[in-house]
Amino acid sequence: MVAVDIIFAPIFLSALVYFLTRGAQHITKYVALAWFVVLFIISLNWLNQIMHPESYAFAPEVLQYIKATGFLPLGEFLSVPAFGFSLTLQIDALSVAMLLLTAGLLILVVFTSWEEKNQAAYFSLLILFSGPIFGVFMTTNVLWFFMFWELTLVPMLFLVGFWGAEGVEIKKVFNVEIKLPSKVYAAIKFFLYTHVFAMFMFVGFFLLFKQTGYWDITLIKEATLATPALIWWLMFLGFAAKLPTFPFHTWLPDAHVQAPSSISVLLAGVLLKMGAYGLIRFTVELLPATTAKFAMWMVVLGLATTFFAGLLAVYERHIKKMVAYSSISHMGLVVVAVATMSYDGLSAALYEMIGHALVISPLFLIAGWLHHKTHTWYMDEMGGIMKYAPYASTTFILAGMAALGLPGTMGFVGELTIIISSVKAFGWWIAVIALAGFISAGYIIWAVRRAIHGEPSEIVKKANFHMSFPEKFALAVFSFLIVYFGVNPQPIFDIANKAFSFFGGM
Amino acid sequence: MSFIVLIAAGLIVPIFYRNNIFIAKMIALIAFIVAAYFIYQGNSLNAIFPYFVMNKATMIMEFALLATLAAVSLALTGFERPLIAQMLFLAGVSLGLLETNNFFIYVVLFEVIAIISYILVANIRNFYNAEGAIKAFIAGAVASGIILLGFALFSFTTDSFNYAQMNVSGKFTLIAVAIMLAGIFYKLTIVPMHGWAADAYSQVNHAAAAILSGVIKSVVLVATFKAFYKFMIAYPVATVLIFSFFAILTMTLANFMALFQKRVSKILAYSSIAHSGYALIPFAAAASVFSYAGVLYYAIAYIFMQTSVFLILNDFRREAGVKHLHDLKGMGKRAPLHSLFFTIQLFSLAGIPLLAGFLAKAVAFYAGVDAGLWPIVLVAALNSALAVAYYAWIIKHLYFDEAKINSTVKMSAGSLIGQLILLAGTIYFGIVAADVINSTITV
Repeated sequence: MVAVDIIFAPIFLSALVYFLTRGAQHITKYVALAWFVVLFIISLNWLNQIMHPESYAFAPEVLQYIKATGFLPLGEFLSVPAFGFSLTLQIDALSVAMLLLTAGLLILVVFTSWEEKNQAAYFSLLILFSGPIFGVFMTTNVLWFFMFWELTLVPMLFLVGFWGAEGVEIKKVFNVEIKLPSKVYAAIKFFLYTHVFAMFMFVGFFLLFKQTGYWDITLIKEATLATPALIWWLMFLGFAAKLPTFPFHTWLPDAHVQAPSSISVLLAGVLLKMGAYGLIRFTVELLPATTAKFAMWMVVLGLATTFFAGLLAVYERHIKKMVAYSSISHMGLVVVAVATMSYDGLSAALYEMIGHALVISPLFLIAGWLHHKTHTWYMDEMGGIMKYAPYASTTFILAGMAALGLPGTMGFVGELTIIISSVKAFGWWIAVIALAGFISAGYIIWAVRRAIHGEPSEIVKKANFHMSFPEKFALAVFSFLIVYFGVNPQPIFDIANKAFSFFGGM
Repeated sequence: MSFIVLIAAGLIVPIFYRNNIFIAKMIALIAFIVAAYFIYQGNSLNAIFPYFVMNKATMIMEFALLATLAAVSLALTGFERPLIAQMLFLAGVSLGLLETNNFFIYVVLFEVIAIISYILVANIRNFYNAEGAIKAFIAGAVASGIILLGFALFSFTTDSFNYAQMNVSGKFTLIAVAIMLAGIFYKLTIVPMHGWAADAYSQVNHAAAAILSGVIKSVVLVATFKAFYKFMIAYPVATVLIFSFFAILTMTLANFMALFQKRVSKILAYSSIAHSGYALIPFAAAASVFSYAGVLYYAIAYIFMQTSVFLILNDFRREAGVKHLHDLKGMGKRAPLHSLFFTIQLFSLAGIPLLAGFLAKAVAFYAGVDAGLWPIVLVAALNSALAVAYYAWIIKHLYFDEAKINSTVKMSAGSLIGQLILLAGTIYFGIVAADVINSTITV
């Protein structure tokens, strides 16, 4: 019952938390923090159960099931036999990795938004968000997966729309001029864009059920599908827009720039991972033969994403947009890694997913923080920040170096493993993705040169660079993790080993 | 028995209008509860008259109907009082329409409901109400005429009007059915018979619009599916062509029209028309075993959410004079409870999961996929995704814009209880799909 409670309790209790703590706003964040810590501990426990099922007192048939499928069954709820539909909760090593990442980021996000305004509403929405996002990674039922997938959009709509950056956007729609705050524009665009593309996925899921008779991905067999190619493309469109890959990425710069930095962390660290997770689960694992047929499309789209977004990042003056494009560029690498459909490639993809979340988060946080302090977005108007805010600057440089793949950080291990696995799978020509490293070196080093070093500008001289202790703490944790897993990547590869053992792991 | 209770209560209630509205509401509430109890016992019209049958699916729809009408009658105040008796009558007639298994009775009760709806909209207070009422009346009268024409033609070709024994392979049957459908499409507000609805729903008193667009449409939807099921099975090609064409036309046009509206009631009116379009998908997919489940689920979800949004709009209009979108600015702060209910029900209309609107769409659209109509379902799904634009636009006005006035809007106890009932329905049917699906499909 724990499993279904941790999904539904936050959805229904977040409104209650809001109304109870409205009078004493400072309490809400402690409630949220406590809840996220509980989630983290539960996820850790599940990780142990999956990695070492023998040391737990499971019934023999459950143990058998875990060993055969890799899935830890957590129960089946709300069953509708006539529709073959029920909320089946099962987790394997891949979903637990995502759960740990989500819970960890949520805890850190509480620290980074310690001084956010309207705390009762903000943290209630974060609590609300934790429910469906756990549901996405925990259920193996396709329709429930879709329901949770869509539900994550609702708290994000309000979080971006309310707490986003200031600014006004003027858009022309059918010759009607609409003037609205950029944060609202970004929030609605994000919502509509991902919602519309999710509909393709929705129809794809329906066809899956129609042609196999099962909603559960552990029961669906690819061989029974009548139109696997159609289903593959419908589902791929949904994931591609979420990742995002090249032609469908335009919502991301808007949403990530306008969102408050802590929410950018969640968008980049968790929501984009939903796309990558879906890609691994529903294409590589569910429809391997069809995916093999279309793998080249994925490679091409992944490469296009990496280079296109990378070049846009070089050109960008806007610090947070630069980080957002760098984020898209790294997700392109993940797509290439997934397309290899090999044990090494998928492990590299999982590592890069976690690495990307941990590397891009401090960059977003510091970019947002710099804007908050200097009131400018543009790197050429900053400069010399190192003198005034050495702590933030050092963290920015460290995370930046990780993003461009400096050995000893997570970025290096991620990019190296992706290059090796894709060369193995596609031949030497794919080594061009190493160029992505050069491009990221270009934008990161130039950003550091423009914003962090150089002569302090007037704006920077006037600014007050105070950083609260919780924010410093969160940045320290991110830096520690980047270096720790960069030097010692084995724990993540252990999980990957378990998750992708069906490909004949090491 | 339930029918008698409702009609009797409807006759008694007007006595208390002038002096004590509270007693009138309590009588109505008790009548609804007692009627629900009798239905639960299986003691409805079927216990007294032939031509009526009761089954699990009908029962669920009737519970949803009675709960919604109870919620509406609790929320009414002031000059909307006469609606209470009309709702009791409407409930009685709707039970008949849902339970009947005879085409003749279906047509007669359909007319009775039309007459009740004219009385509902006849609660005229100003010029706009009058315009809406006239439009509803004329469109309804035209529809009645067309239905009777089709019915007369059909009656030449059949010996029995019982759904099971009807002769559906007569010479004129297809034409007769097409003519009847043309009339029924008026009531279901299918494009191009939707023009009256866009004005009537937005111009008559919003409480009446809630019943007109939410309750009556849902009941007619389910009853029509049951009445025409045999025809739809007998003419599969025509069924797919007619219903898919009108479904796509209706939802696309209504969604685009809704995008450009400035009056909140007009947006909701067009959204209601668009929802008729989605609800036609399971009609087109009559061949699928999920078609009846789809229609029933859609009607149940729709009755809760559509009634709720119009009732909240009624409160907004009465308490804060809301007419246009910009009047809604900052309502999230001024009227937090109203806005919360409004937002949740709008999300349900938009098809956001864990709310009835989503599962209803899921089942209805799945029926379409099951019958092999996946391209049409894809168009419908994209339509419903685009529709989020105008729902999100309302929500944007509620929460993201600053208010011009700062007076707060209070929610009356009756309205609060009514909204809680409707919200409970929306959430329950958004999570538990078993009731509706199990009642229509036997494994």
